[in-house]
Amino acid sequence: MPRWGMVIDVKRCIACWGCSIACKEEHFLPPNVFWNRVLIGERGKFPSSSKLILPILCNHCSEAACVEACPTGATYVREDGIVAIDDEKCVGCRACLVSCPYQQRTYYDKEVKDREYFPGQGKTELELIGEKLYPFALGTVIKCNFCTERLEDGIKKGLEPGVDEDASPACVNICPVNARVFGDLDDPNSKINRLIMEHKGKQLRPEFGTEPAVYYID
Amino acid sequence: MTYKTDEIWEDKWVNTTCGVCYCGCAAKVRVVNGVPVKIEGINESTMGGDGPGLCGKGTAGLMYYHDPNRIKKPLLRTNPEKGIGVDPKWKEIEWDEALDIIATKMKKIMDDDPNKILFTNQTMRASDGPHNHPYFYAQAFGVKNNGNFIIGGGSLHCGNACHMLGGLIHGAWSIAPDWRYTKYVLKWGSSKGTGSGHSAMTNARLRADAIRRGIKEVVFDPMGNFAGGKATEWVAILPGTDTAVGLAIANYIANTRGEMDILYLKAKTNFPYLIREDGTYIRNAESDKPLIFDSREGKIKEYDDKTLAWENCALDGEYEYKGEKVVPCFVPFKEHLKQYTIEWASEISTVPVATILQVAKDWVDNAQIGSTITLEGKKYPYRPVSSVTFRGSQGHSNGIHQVAAIDLMAQLVGAEDVPGGTLGWPAIRRAYPGGNYEQTCKAGKDGVIVPSVFYSHDPWPVHEPSLPATNMGCVDVWTHCTLSHIPYVDEMEYIHEKFGMKSKPEMIFGIAANFIISNSDWDTAIKNFKDCFVVQNDLWVNETDQAIGDIILPDVSYLEKDCWSSEIDAFFFSGSPSHENWYVHMQQPVAKPIGESRFFMDVYIDIADRCGVLDTFNAKLNDYYGVADPELQIKPGEVLTWKEIGDRFLQWIYGADHQKVQDQGYATWNKAIEDVYWRWDIDTRCPVYMEYLIHDRRAMENIFEQTGFDVEGLEFDLDQYSPLPTWFWPESHKDLDNEFDLLAFSYRDILHTNNTTFQNPYIDEVSKMCPYTFTITLNTTMAYERGLKDGDIICIETKAGVKETGIVKTMEAQSPKVIGIAGQGGLWADGRPIAKGKGANFCKLLPSKLKYFDPIAGNMETAVAVKIYKV
Amino acid sequence: MSKNIHELEQIMFPPDGSGVKPYEWMINPTRQRQWIDKQGVFLWLAFFFSEIGAGLYFVSLFYQYKPGLVLGWLITLILGGLVHVAYLGNPFRAWRMIMKPNTSELSRGIWIIGAFAALGLLQMVTSGGFNIVFNVIMGILCLLVISHGFATMKVIRALPAWISNMVLPFSIISGVWIGQQALQLMFVFGGQAELVSGMEVWAEAFYFIYFLCLVLYVWGTWHANEIGAASIKMMLSDELKQITLIGVVGLAVVLPLVLTLIMWGGDTNGFMVFLRLASVFAGDLAVRYIVMKSAVYKPLLERS
Repeated sequence: MPRWGMVIDVKRCIACWGCSIACKEEHFLPPNVFWNRVLIGERGKFPSSSKLILPILCNHCSEAACVEACPTGATYVREDGIVAIDDEKCVGCRACLVSCPYQQRTYYDKEVKDREYFPGQGKTELELIGEKLYPFALGTVIKCNFCTERLEDGIKKGLEPGVDEDASPACVNICPVNARVFGDLDDPNSKINRLIMEHKGKQLRPEFGTEPAVYYID
Repeated sequence: MTYKTDEIWEDKWVNTTCGVCYCGCAAKVRVVNGVPVKIEGINESTMGGDGPGLCGKGTAGLMYYHDPNRIKKPLLRTNPEKGIGVDPKWKEIEWDEALDIIATKMKKIMDDDPNKILFTNQTMRASDGPHNHPYFYAQAFGVKNNGNFIIGGGSLHCGNACHMLGGLIHGAWSIAPDWRYTKYVLKWGSSKGTGSGHSAMTNARLRADAIRRGIKEVVFDPMGNFAGGKATEWVAILPGTDTAVGLAIANYIANTRGEMDILYLKAKTNFPYLIREDGTYIRNAESDKPLIFDSREGKIKEYDDKTLAWENCALDGEYEYKGEKVVPCFVPFKEHLKQYTIEWASEISTVPVATILQVAKDWVDNAQIGSTITLEGKKYPYRPVSSVTFRGSQGHSNGIHQVAAIDLMAQLVGAEDVPGGTLGWPAIRRAYPGGNYEQTCKAGKDGVIVPSVFYSHDPWPVHEPSLPATNMGCVDVWTHCTLSHIPYVDEMEYIHEKFGMKSKPEMIFGIAANFIISNSDWDTAIKNFKDCFVVQNDLWVNETDQAIGDIILPDVSYLEKDCWSSEIDAFFFSGSPSHENWYVHMQQPVAKPIGESRFFMDVYIDIADRCGVLDTFNAKLNDYYGVADPELQIKPGEVLTWKEIGDRFLQWIYGADHQKVQDQGYATWNKAIEDVYWRWDIDTRCPVYMEYLIHDRRAMENIFEQTGFDVEGLEFDLDQYSPLPTWFWPESHKDLDNEFDLLAFSYRDILHTNNTTFQNPYIDEVSKMCPYTFTITLNTTMAYERGLKDGDIICIETKAGVKETGIVKTMEAQSPKVIGIAGQGGLWADGRPIAKGKGANFCKLLPSKLKYFDPIAGNMETAVAVKIYKV
Repeated sequence: MSKNIHELEQIMFPPDGSGVKPYEWMINPTRQRQWIDKQGVFLWLAFFFSEIGAGLYFVSLFYQYKPGLVLGWLITLILGGLVHVAYLGNPFRAWRMIMKPNTSELSRGIWIIGAFAALGLLQMVTSGGFNIVFNVIMGILCLLVISHGFATMKVIRALPAWISNMVLPFSIISGVWIGQQALQLMFVFGGQAELVSGMEVWAEAFYFIYFLCLVLYVWGTWHANEIGAASIKMMLSDELKQITLIGVVGLAVVLPLVLTLIMWGGDTNGFMVFLRLASVFAGDLAVRYIVMKSAVYKPLLERS
């Protein structure tokens, strides 16, 4: 069984936000809900300051704080390493949301559901069809799922996640500068493991002991 | 959470071309039950990002289709009063009525003087539909030259100087580093490879690989954000002072180090051309060709004499020709550079001496002069250094000299259109195998390249400035303007009167341009355009439509567009500059047009038909695509839709494969390596010594004398008509004083294209997550010293009394002497509620007096002296 | 146009404390919002009521005072429990929260409250309920219920302001202190002046322990790490400053101190007992409010 992971090459990233927006389209996310974001900051003083760019998403931690906090078992780590949410079990206590050091979860309630991309002008066809195609359960927590559906459909068709477009996460596909690589962390020969080894990949905030499946190289 | 599938009766992907910025990346759209729901790139295509990659704003393009604010029926202004803040009192009318009003008006003006009709396009439209067509559409009505184009952002947001020299040196609209083989890149006020410029994502993809490979990229820019923030080194520089650093580096190469690619200078530049005392070429009396001294035979020969070997073209010495003392123009050129020391450049530009020196050294060391590389079995000179610029550094009143200086360092080491160097993009467009549309460049007068396809008018051969001016843009006089600046100049009426311009504009027929707010001072734009009858094809009622529009026709967005022609002739906007296969994408409709919206090309055809000029336009179309097959030509009397024309022309362009191309939405074929690295294969010479400017100066002086034009009063700087790249202070710097002590500048944000993107809610919400996009940036220390902090609302005021307010965001990575504003915010059109009130408008701050424009290419001075204070 | 710029200013630069600047989210220390903003106030109230209810129950055990048990039990379950359930996105699935006691502190809390509810009811309805075994079991359960809220918060490693070692002692003493105050007032209403006066020595002790724990919590969090310090700083930021000064300093610390000093040695007065209870009640609510409101996450960008 593979353990899915991702490498984000910060050196390549130009902060175009393709990942964030493609993710919104893939999952029909309402306004102000992001499963992918880009953090922009800076370090140092003029004239030797530098711009900081950090694309972030759910880290699919193997020691996930959210899984630990969940009182119902709705949030769990799948065999393939994906941290999933069973929305039929979620009571909406938001313990997971508060516990995540990366703040990658969103509570989906009526206020979120009712948001409109064109405020006061009603929902667009896009938003309406999204609610049918990719419905979320009210009163539950939602987050990045590494595009589980794409992965599973792709694998069923005999495609390889991280290689074939139809078996890879939307953010990986959309990245115009190939800053995202997806693959199997358990396979020592996978491209992501090679990148992690070669460029000394780092996990985000390892001090929380969460063991993220997303690595950063610079 | 899984996809529900029971209600899906359609789920397909349609290949098309992105239309959010002018780059036109390959795009495919997922359509479910007739609703476009997702956009990605096309995996197979090299046109755009890596694999199915697409940038954020391209991905967000979906919202162009879903925006409920799109206009759905033609609108007619019922309030005769015009201006900012005036309610146009729109009335919805039927298409037939709208077209009738327009055609009647146009016919009437045409019968009087067709030059009274102005046409617009806007830069974004390059990928979003036909490209050069508006220009010859105008010609079908009888409009002369290109001076009737008041392109939205043509001055501020485009690059007259860049395109002019891009054309003269590379035979191309634009330039890019050869990312694949380069080792050392200098970028000057340009974000090529980091989000902007032509073929933005193609370049970003190529650059990312190069950066991963370990190239060094030094960015000279007032701010370390999109380009500087990703560079291996960001160097803070004052806007408009790049010439100084460029010339100092050139001086270092030519005089201090003295390491140059001499064979290149002899063979590929005009440096060996002999000039007389006054700087002009000596020419063969019969052939009119410039002359070169053959150092082997000790004889003066025509530059293209077959017996003249490259290595024998003399670059130095003094000779006599028919009693005149003559020298190769490289002699005074090299001497001229000596005044530009690194210390001098440092003082002007604020770049430390050590930095300039280091860059100069690294440049020469990395150039590997004399080295070669073998690619595909062919040996090429290998010069892995590239120096590129775009809108930022060339957008100044000294624009031509900025671009010339930045290019000069590449000339001296021979890094032009060879592996690793700077590439024109691309200079050549080959025909599809079995097809017929091919555009190649050729050597023109004096051995200078004539580009294959160019926007609006060819930079070579140079037309001599002449009177009378026949159109609003007066390009008869300003012959180097790719797009004229005169329509935005405050003294326009005076200029028209002096130059005998009789065709006072009465009508504007435009495509989604927002020229009122996107060029310079808004009041001047209103003054110059408000008396015109303004018709625009647009998606929304934008600021220009609201202020001065008379009839607004609902246009389709690129997602509803059936446009076979979008990239066929726009290869220099969209193609890959690198050695990658040709890809030409079509725009295929992914959904039905919104409301009663119609593609502007079909509206063009309808109006041309009503005005009785359709046959002329169709003949020009036949001619443009070179359609020689009578079966496929549009015949007199035929009224075809754009799609029907495409059905014929695609057969001509793609031959037997036309159906396959249409089915897959794009054509692809092999690009030969010779078409990328063509410099040593096509016998042309770069006019680095700008001799033509001496003649232009004389012609201009004549015109001024003849017309009594107040050169001094208007502060028109004739000295810039110099053949030598020379330092001139940009006008904005001359305005600096104790009160107006900061230079405001603008930059391209990766999320935004002009101002249409401000109306996109996906882009809007991520823009709010960017610290600088909607704010005004100040250096942290400078802000602190002035008592300003993040979130303060400040007023920016210019010497002309123009004010703009915005919110402060401090950043370290910005020169303390400047303030930065991204793009074209500060919008107020009621028709675009998402855009309204976002960001600040930079354009309005730019003064519109003639002296603020580059006297040669008409580039606007895009920095402005301002004072700021808290409100 | 100026109206629009102020709208943009509100989005991009909301006043400190009320929200997070969108471009500073997880770039600067970022406030926890889910468990205090908007519906989050339910959780704040739920934790508070279950704590003081169990506190009252606990203190009542020592006085074998059944009305105290009943009131404490009701406060914990009705005000604490139901408010907590009302906070949930899917209240009807609340039963599922018992599923993960091995990892989830929240789940363990539900078991404890369940036990407290059942055994407490048994104690209240059985005549010999106050036997020593029952009292010890219920005493332990009460302390667990009291600390349930803060225990749930303490395990959240992502929020350094909540993981202080002082969190549990402080939580327990605040429950006991307010429970004791509530019982004292019940005795005032019951006209049992002697008991009221006799309890004052406990009030004095609990107050000082409460005060000490509060100081230690603030001191410890300030010194724990920079993120903890950022939380303490936020308590004194523009929006929270008033609540900190009036609620925490004024109502939780100064006023009870003044009243305790006035009544020092058992010189109690019904009105002042009432006043002190009201003060610590509001004061402790304020303490919990700012502790929840000022908790910040560690930024994800390495700035140094």
